[in-house]
Amino acid sequence: MLDAPARRKLVEVRGLRKYFPITAGLLRRKIGDVKAVDNVSFDIFEGETLGLVGESGCGKSTCGRVILRLYDPTAGSIRIEGREIADAPQSDLRELRPTMQMVFQDPQASLNPRMTVAAIIGEPLDEHTTLSKAEKLARIYELMDAVGLNRNYANRYPHEFSGGQRQRIGIARALALNPKFVVCDEPIAALDVSIQAQVVNLLEELQDRLGLTYLFISHDLSMVRHIADRVAVMYLGQIAELAPRDDLYLKPLHPYTQALLSAVPEPDPELEAHRRRIILTGDVPSPANPPKGCNFCTRCPKVMDICRQVEPAFREVEPGRFAACHLYSETNETAGPTAAAEARKSIQQGV
Amino acid sequence: MLTYTIRRLLIAIPTLLFISLVIFLILEMAPGDPLADQPLTVPPEVREKMRAALGLDQPAWVRYLLWLKQFFWTEPLHLVDSLFGTAFADPTGRIVSWQFRAPAMDIIWQRLPQTLWVVGLAYVVGVVIAVPIGIISAYRQYSWFDNLGTFVSMVGFSVPTFFTGVVLIIVFAVNLHWFPSIYDTTLKVTDWESFLKQARQMVMPVTVLALFNASQISRFMRASMLDNLQQDYVRTARAKGMSEKVVVLRHVLRNSLIPVVTVIALGIPTIFGGAIITEQVFKVNGLGQLLITAIYANDLPMVQTLTFIFAALTVLFNLIADVLYGVLDPRIRYD
Amino acid sequence: MRLKSALLGAAAGIALAPAAFAERGADGHLNIIYWQAPSILNPYLSSGTKDVESSSMILEPLAGFNEKGELFARLAEDVPTLANGGVSEDLTTITWKLKPGLVWSDGTPVTSADVVFSYEYCTHPEGGCSQAARYEGIQSVEALDDMTVKVTFTAPKPNPYNAFVGSTSPIIQKAQFANCLGAAAQQCTDANFGPIGTGPFKVTEFKPNDVISMEANPNYRDPAKPAFATVTFKGGGDAAAAGRAVLETGEFDYAWNLQLAPDVLAGMEAAGKGKVINAFGTLVERIEMNMTDPSPSLAEGERSTVKHPHPILSDIRVRKALSMAIDRNLLVEVGYGSAGRPTCNLVPAPEMFASDNTECLSQDVEGAKALLEEAGWTDSDGDGIRDKDGKKLSLLYQTSTNAVRQDFQALVKQWWTEIGVETELKNVDASVFFGGDPGSPDTFQKFYADVEMYANNFDGTDPEPYLSQYLCDKIPGPDNGWQGENINRFCDPAYDTLVAELARTGEIEKRAEIAKKLNEMLTKDSYVVVPLVDRGRNSAHSNTLGGVVLNTWDSELWNTSDWFRVK
Repeated sequence: MLDAPARRKLVEVRGLRKYFPITAGLLRRKIGDVKAVDNVSFDIFEGETLGLVGESGCGKSTCGRVILRLYDPTAGSIRIEGREIADAPQSDLRELRPTMQMVFQDPQASLNPRMTVAAIIGEPLDEHTTLSKAEKLARIYELMDAVGLNRNYANRYPHEFSGGQRQRIGIARALALNPKFVVCDEPIAALDVSIQAQVVNLLEELQDRLGLTYLFISHDLSMVRHIADRVAVMYLGQIAELAPRDDLYLKPLHPYTQALLSAVPEPDPELEAHRRRIILTGDVPSPANPPKGCNFCTRCPKVMDICRQVEPAFREVEPGRFAACHLYSETNETAGPTAAAEARKSIQQGV
Repeated sequence: MLTYTIRRLLIAIPTLLFISLVIFLILEMAPGDPLADQPLTVPPEVREKMRAALGLDQPAWVRYLLWLKQFFWTEPLHLVDSLFGTAFADPTGRIVSWQFRAPAMDIIWQRLPQTLWVVGLAYVVGVVIAVPIGIISAYRQYSWFDNLGTFVSMVGFSVPTFFTGVVLIIVFAVNLHWFPSIYDTTLKVTDWESFLKQARQMVMPVTVLALFNASQISRFMRASMLDNLQQDYVRTARAKGMSEKVVVLRHVLRNSLIPVVTVIALGIPTIFGGAIITEQVFKVNGLGQLLITAIYANDLPMVQTLTFIFAALTVLFNLIADVLYGVLDPRIRYD
Repeated sequence: MRLKSALLGAAAGIALAPAAFAERGADGHLNIIYWQAPSILNPYLSSGTKDVESSSMILEPLAGFNEKGELFARLAEDVPTLANGGVSEDLTTITWKLKPGLVWSDGTPVTSADVVFSYEYCTHPEGGCSQAARYEGIQSVEALDDMTVKVTFTAPKPNPYNAFVGSTSPIIQKAQFANCLGAAAQQCTDANFGPIGTGPFKVTEFKPNDVISMEANPNYRDPAKPAFATVTFKGGGDAAAAGRAVLETGEFDYAWNLQLAPDVLAGMEAAGKGKVINAFGTLVERIEMNMTDPSPSLAEGERSTVKHPHPILSDIRVRKALSMAIDRNLLVEVGYGSAGRPTCNLVPAPEMFASDNTECLSQDVEGAKALLEEAGWTDSDGDGIRDKDGKKLSLLYQTSTNAVRQDFQALVKQWWTEIGVETELKNVDASVFFGGDPGSPDTFQKFYADVEMYANNFDGTDPEPYLSQYLCDKIPGPDNGWQGENINRFCDPAYDTLVAELARTGEIEKRAEIAKKLNEMLTKDSYVVVPLVDRGRNSAHSNTLGGVVLNTWDSELWNTSDWFRVK
């Protein structure tokens, strides 16, 4: 208990909420909220990759953007390197931008079509550094080398590149200011499968070399399994389960995670033959009007009465493993204190 | 780009010839008579002689070919003559306006300055106020500023200029005596006092036209900004830690301006077309008034020449707009 | 040196101060606005009023008309008459003598050669002169000496005051226009835009269809005139704007021909900056009856020709009834206000030529009904429309497109409906209606309608050419390309005889008597022409402009040399 923490928490998210107002009528009166992110809490440790997975529309991209304050959170706290940024004014945020960066999903749309590669990569340097022109150019070339882009392309425009190359530009741009924390928002979703591996490998390599911390947002469970150290599963704006990668993939706890994983094809034909898919019925409820009780109760194969009444707490059910499910809150009640104590310890130690 | 431009210019030649033929035929078929405004007391024999003096006794195709020769051969030669003091052109072969019995091009040159001053300035003013309004309206979409801007541009767009013009005259000229109601085209700006006088008489026509132009362009600007503000690269720019000023002015504005610049370029020929109604209301008597009086007087050579010049300018500025698009947007390449 | 001359100038100024009232150019600047812009300053190439009147400030004829329609000498020493021997006894020659010492604005003397040249200029067969009618019937114009010109006519001319009289046939300078004869007239832009004249002003800059800048003619024959040193003659816009500029904002001193609704004009005048003035000429708004059948069932070339008399309107009782049903006072009130007066005459002025016919001025609906009954038109089927022999009393009534004319049409239709006449209204764009295109079915000459309404007047004060329009041989038809001024195809040998007599008569009282008779033959005796309104003219001048006398017999600007600034 008195041990010094082995790994530092770089990002701490607590009770994060992001609601988008719904307006209607002549006077655009607010009539409700889309609860894109609804009470989410987790930590990211320095140097690790946290995978954030979920179906499209579950709020994972919003979550990533709110953490970088590209959206203003509705409630909650975000601490990066111990500094609270949830309510920091934009001017303060700008100073923090160099430490936290983002790689976007669509490399085509996320690059300004009227700027050359050099201008795109170099622009943050103009804004945040006092480098001379030559130094800036050297830095641009260095970054292009690092992401495997030919230096001769520095004066070309984004539309002249292939999708994979554009994503490399996007990564180089994100790395320009030596960030510590990078949110990768579906960085490979728009790429060909053959290119996906290259980009993921590049990200891993850069992580090793530069000691980066990633929040890797993806709907591709296999890719997350490949890159992530820990994985958080989101459903309808909330985290259903958060666990170390191997634990999660071996023994998913939350029924939603189970269903999700059962859909992943197995490379081993024998295992694949025995794979039992859990087919979820019904549609994902609207985030504007989530169900009462547990978010997942409308589609859960193991639904209980309590699920429709009480919202399950997001809690540590095994050391290092968190889930929001009544299945575990009941059964683990007896193991209660010890398990909880263990859990707390493990969080502190950052398993 | 150069070969593209040259190719487009070459294609423009048959286009313009076709346009000139269409204009000629339309004018030919239109009802009316160039001598219609002559009083009834002029006897028919005299009318017939006047008609022959105008060349109206020739068949239509002869008159068309003659006009082509005059416009594409005699007039350019005359221009060279007047610039370099040479004497290539046949002074009797120029396009002669029926109502003035004077070379049409001379009158057009005479009218050009006042039209460019008033209508051109109004266009510039319109653009200058429209761009910031469009930017702010889009950036603060649905704010009171945006709503006010929307309202004002709806008004500017839908209320005809002859109405706004007359309202301004009644308020500022008749009641308040701030500005003259009749534009003095003989005024020459020589000193500070005459400059002020010129400015005073330009205020109302420029305001009316600028309001109209601005409401149109600000709508374009706003729509284009909104389009770009939602683009991913804007988020990228924010994520890079760029200040809002840089994000809006450098990233969003530059991209938004591409379509707006082409719209502005396409609007320039309308400056030369003058503002028929506004020129009439304020008696600016520029090219627009020249055209409308020529139409009333059935002065076919003048109408034909003016409309053809407008058509040529429209074709030219279409090309300029396309080339500009290519220059501004690196994604577009013409080859 | 400069100081000295300045002092001398100042001293001279003080010394001359009492005489300043009568000094040329003492009253500064004059602003005139015509809502139709002048496009050329040579009246021989355009007979548009705007062009003729603007050039009348620069160019002058030998004699002009005053506001009463009386002749007075301008460049001539006096008006030649039978009495003073200027007109020959046989009415075939007139001899004009120029005022001595006359000079053009460029300082060169005016001679009889200029007068002869003006005649040659306008009568050149290729010149396309729009005033050629003023020189018709002339055999020769010769200079007897430097100051004397003799005009010889081909036949006795009882009214010899056409050539060189009035603003439409001024004297132009031979030296300036010598190379502009015939087809070359079109090329002489400098001369056409800046003629050298003898009038009170000369052109300094002309922007066609926009503005004329003028200054006082330094060589004007009266050294004390004109009072204004410079003039801006602005053109363009509309009558309302012109009226506003004089009556409401006071930017301009004189506005021409304010064809505005009476209440609008009154509202403007109430601003107190200027006055509306009006005068009456010979412009009469009338309904013309078609004496021939315009029925579309007739073959093209037969329609509206003398071959087929009109089935309804050939009966004078119907024509008279139609006239009786009209309330001319109401028409004046609705359409023209102070600028109109009801009339029963085709020739309403000048006074000596105007018949005292006032019979039509009071509306008589009952009388009209009785007359139709008498003519056999009865409403046999009770649908409100009279009929006779199975034919309905139904008329097509056409005119040009014009707000006042459409108001008139609506009112007349209402009155005619009251007496059981069905009326179908039609309006045609003015440029087509008056365009004279023989290919168009909608010209007023073709008259493919039963009745039509327009206004016409005559030039100058003598109604002879105007009344001779109604001769049998002037009926428009396919054989003369639908040219001809006898629009209603009226044909009466007695009328033709009387016109011939008028042409032989030189004595003015006798001429007036015959003219009145002719006028009555067309109006109250036959109701072929149904005059409605004698249309006068409204113009306006600012309170500070003096000397304005509105003249409908000549240019409105006939006496600008006498205009002055009210102090």
